[in-house]
Amino acid sequence: MISFILIILMSLIFTGIVIRTKSITSGRKGPGIFQPLKDLARLFKKGSVYSQTTSFIFQLAPSVYLASILMAVLVIPLGQYKGILSFEGDFVFFAYVLGAGKFFSILSAMDTGSSFEGMGASREALFSMFAEPAFFLLMGSFALLTGYTSFQQIFHSLHFGSSVSYVLMVLATYVLVMIALIENSRMPIDDPKTHLELTMVHEVMVLDNSGFDLGMILYGTPLKLAMYGGLIANLFMGDFPLVLTIPIFLGLQIAFAVTVGIIESFMARFRMNHNAQYILTLSSVSLLILLGVLLILGQFN
Amino acid sequence: MTNVLLIIFTITLLYLGIAHRLLTYIKILAFQGILLFGIAFIELIEIDLANLSFVLLETVIFKTIAIPLFLQYVMKRNRITRDAEPYLPNFMSLIIITLIIISTFLLSNTIPDARISKIYFVVALSTLFTGLFIIASRNKLITHVMGYLVIENGVFILSLAVGTEMPVLVNLGILLDIFASIFLLGIFVNRIGDVLRDVDVDQLSQLKD
Repeated sequence: MISFILIILMSLIFTGIVIRTKSITSGRKGPGIFQPLKDLARLFKKGSVYSQTTSFIFQLAPSVYLASILMAVLVIPLGQYKGILSFEGDFVFFAYVLGAGKFFSILSAMDTGSSFEGMGASREALFSMFAEPAFFLLMGSFALLTGYTSFQQIFHSLHFGSSVSYVLMVLATYVLVMIALIENSRMPIDDPKTHLELTMVHEVMVLDNSGFDLGMILYGTPLKLAMYGGLIANLFMGDFPLVLTIPIFLGLQIAFAVTVGIIESFMARFRMNHNAQYILTLSSVSLLILLGVLLILGQFN
Repeated sequence: MTNVLLIIFTITLLYLGIAHRLLTYIKILAFQGILLFGIAFIELIEIDLANLSFVLLETVIFKTIAIPLFLQYVMKRNRITRDAEPYLPNFMSLIIITLIIISTFLLSNTIPDARISKIYFVVALSTLFTGLFIIASRNKLITHVMGYLVIENGVFILSLAVGTEMPVLVNLGILLDIFASIFLLGIFVNRIGDVLRDVDVDQLSQLKD
């Protein structure tokens, strides 16, 4: 329950912090932290315009997309405190409920009949497909390490033992940050600011959405980022009391937002045909995490 | 602690798979030298001082400083282009190196009661095969030598695995190998570079009297 409220609160200012970091590093005055929120409020006041070639899927998809992300947020715990939903194997639920949302957003992009949107949808599907084994290898290794299969129990019983576990934590944080950036089509994979349809990934899929629907899709991005930030923060909580977990959570979220801003300020985007290999690297690194877990468990020494 | 260094070493192998530029290869080789220094220092701290300092000097001076500088010099002198020019796309290289790591891991599990620690065995063997793969899949002569150096690193890790009773001979052999390879390369590349301008393995098959 607490984690849900915290993630929703954080999602309201997440993009704001990213944009603020970018404007500070590039020496501009820039908009305030709440500017993205105001933009969203403006969009939510509007009605939507639907093209005549689209079917009901196009109208359904933005709601399904946002709802899937909200469903996924439900299972995120906060240290030893459970999320609203918590059951055995909920990380599989987490991955596939997000997958369902993504599936609908891909369908709606194809529904418009625009060739650009089909191209973007194909890229988004490809990148998510490559990122998925990394996530499952990572969570599977943690499940193997702790012997539990739900987020709350895994994160509750993760603790730093030997020196190997520290390197595993660093690698896991890296993998999760990169997965978050890929799933949200942020900088090293995709440039959210680009104005050329040929090089877009996520933005090109929502070209036909407008008004309220566009607002829902745009709100999905900070919500997803804050959700992954919450997942990363959980790695460092263990079984601390609530007085400690909330500052750790907020601190790590803000650090994550600033990191995203710094990455977007100082890194160039990868070339489109090189993206696949960078994403696949995550799976290889996750495989090393699995080997490290086997090492800790003494299956292998 | 050595386990941490060995895991980082394995990550450098993956990075080697997706690197584009020769300079990145050289930096990775230098970094591997630093990692080997750390592993050797922790693993061999109990042996006598002269031997230890020899091993450490070898890793730092040769693997980390001398060879990368020399490779850079050779690159500059022969005007070798900066791209690695692999036969395969880097995506395939990454998959193959990952498969190499998986298969050595599975192989190490099938060997019962190995005398050496298994993580050393896995990292050393996958380094060996990765070096071999880099030799087989890259176009230029200089990347072949780099693959050879990666193989040398694998042999070094394997010899570290036998622990404190490591004979000086193994060490000397490694040093000699490196020296010979670089020395040969120096002569070889200089000659060929003068005649053919570009040191590409494909062009070696066209050599005639």
